[in-house]
Amino acid sequence: MVNIAVLSLLAAQVAGGGVPGPVATPAAGAPDGRRQMEQRVKQDLGAQAQPFPEGALNLGTPGAIPVGKLLLLPEIAVIVDGALGYTTLSTGQQEPVAEPLPQHKAWPVLQEVEVALQATVDPYVRGDVFLTFGAEGVAVEEAFLTTLSLPAGLQVKAGKIYAPFGRTSQLHRHQWTFVDQPVSMQRLVGIDGLGGAGADVAWLAPLPWFAELHVAYQATAPGPTGELLATGVARLIQYLELSDEATLGVGLSWAAFLPDLPGQWRNLAGADVYLKVRDPASRSWVVLQGELYGRQLDGETFAEARWGGYAQAAWRIDRNWEVGVRYDAAPAPVAYAGGTQQDVGALATWLPSEFLRLRLQPSLVLLPQGESGFQGLLTFEFVLGAHGAHPF
Amino acid sequence: MHTSIRIVALALAASWAAPAAATVNVVTTTEGLAAVVREIGGDRVKVTALSRGIQDPHFVDANPSLAVKLRNADLLVDVGLELEVGWLPPLVTQSRNGAIQPGGPRRLTAASAITPLDVPTGPVDRSQGDIHPSGNPHFLTDPRRVLQVAAALAARLSALDPDGAPYYRERLASFQARVAAAEKGWREKLAPFQGRSVVTQHRTLTYLLDWAGLRAAGFLEPRPGVAPPPSHVASLAGIVKAAGVKGVLVEAFYDRRSADQLHDLSGVKVIVIPGDVGGTRDASDWFAYVDVLVRSLVQAVQ
Repeated sequence: MVNIAVLSLLAAQVAGGGVPGPVATPAAGAPDGRRQMEQRVKQDLGAQAQPFPEGALNLGTPGAIPVGKLLLLPEIAVIVDGALGYTTLSTGQQEPVAEPLPQHKAWPVLQEVEVALQATVDPYVRGDVFLTFGAEGVAVEEAFLTTLSLPAGLQVKAGKIYAPFGRTSQLHRHQWTFVDQPVSMQRLVGIDGLGGAGADVAWLAPLPWFAELHVAYQATAPGPTGELLATGVARLIQYLELSDEATLGVGLSWAAFLPDLPGQWRNLAGADVYLKVRDPASRSWVVLQGELYGRQLDGETFAEARWGGYAQAAWRIDRNWEVGVRYDAAPAPVAYAGGTQQDVGALATWLPSEFLRLRLQPSLVLLPQGESGFQGLLTFEFVLGAHGAHPF
Repeated sequence: MHTSIRIVALALAASWAAPAAATVNVVTTTEGLAAVVREIGGDRVKVTALSRGIQDPHFVDANPSLAVKLRNADLLVDVGLELEVGWLPPLVTQSRNGAIQPGGPRRLTAASAITPLDVPTGPVDRSQGDIHPSGNPHFLTDPRRVLQVAAALAARLSALDPDGAPYYRERLASFQARVAAAEKGWREKLAPFQGRSVVTQHRTLTYLLDWAGLRAAGFLEPRPGVAPPPSHVASLAGIVKAAGVKGVLVEAFYDRRSADQLHDLSGVKVIVIPGDVGGTRDASDWFAYVDVLVRSLVQAVQ
């Protein structure tokens, strides 16, 4: 058994890909001898001597779903979101938003069914596919591969992916704390977030804290239009452990678009802050989070750019309850050209188990010209199948 | 000038060719595993635990800062059996460390060294609570199984650091001897109480009770991960009285209100125990941890 492990390790060392430093030296005895052997194997094998990540000796994964693993099925989860919505606002007072509600009616809606399929593809990459079934039919929310052991702290995600822009815009519905995305994000970044086919290269800087730099090139559909534009994205996200109990996340994002027509998105800037405070011994925590977005359309000067953002606080009281408040400032609907809309929302969440969540979110909408309205959403969400990771 | 260059070159060469100074950077998911790694690895290893003994290991945050600790790990030791399923997988992916992926040569899943208990035999679904479909992951309280984990660890450390193999063998033998000696003492303390029952919060003590010759009369959680409803606490009070149970054991990270209610209804003693090494101040290493558990068991059955 030990011999097998040594052999596999040696095979990995021969390739020299992604093996951490200190142990590599004692593992193969004299480093010079090892390098000579490596050279010999390279000469003998030629092209075969490409980087070979460890993990080839996969003897199974205790702790994974046993039957699924035996059948080589990916981990499968189905997440269903439904709601009962009510609003005093007309459609014109709401749009553009992702999910407008009919005025003055208690309106049931099956918001989304998400099917998640996740597995390792081969020893080099893993694959994740998220399909959504909603009012507009079937869509691929994300489908991408992720490299597992590129050298130099690099990681590539390629496929249809959320752009590495901002914080909340990259989250799937079941990861949202609130029932809907902030209107500022929907109108300035993208009605369903900012995503599309492309690739994201992320570099984890060799620093004692988490600092990751993303550079992506994608075809995305910013704002409410759905028109695809060639997009370059950059993001720097850092997490600092302030104490045993507090973690601060700070992100800066930039997206540059190649507009086909005047008036389309040209530049998008984002800054986000996230603070989580949790006594490790408890299931209770507080999260403070905010984002600011700035958007410049093609043909606009910098001074003409529109700004918006949100700030929210969420308190997970115990294993079963969470409450929150959110303030959101966004460009107002088209009918109020140039005005600003403000939303003030509250949230109460009940989590009877790890796999079920019921939420109530009333909010007050303040439109320009002294108009205002009320919206309420009562939602449920349940998960079948594999237990996904908890979002941080 | 030439001399100084030569000195620098020599110093560089010396530092390059000095594997004795190298230590194996081991990252574990829990403090209990870290304690076992310390027993076997001694001063040839540097151990970092991703969670603390005061935490419920099911609910650790997938804080990206932890991925930084995994990036340079020479060995990742996890418990397995889906204990860490809610937080470890994204961190391992974020770490860019291909060798610590599941099944990799620098990944040791401790559960692979033991025979698990509480493996569901019939159909499994979530109406049974937040179950572990491959078996109970709380096995580090069992001296027999901790020795199996220690042996697997010594083998893996020897494979990664062959120069240290004799050292790890020696440390393993010493650990085995000390566990045997401690076990003798623990068994003597428990001998008068064989076959008696206790109540626990979650199924965390299955292995310890199996080793100790004791039984669980019931659990405060009606099903794993489900908070105790009043009806369950009330029926448990009946079971406790009928079976003559004297104590309920609750890990420090659980809300103890249900246990206190059971105390009010049935008179059982509520005994707060560490959830892992480091879970309370007196559980400073693995021996001290099991010592506290054995003392708590004796207190619970008397």
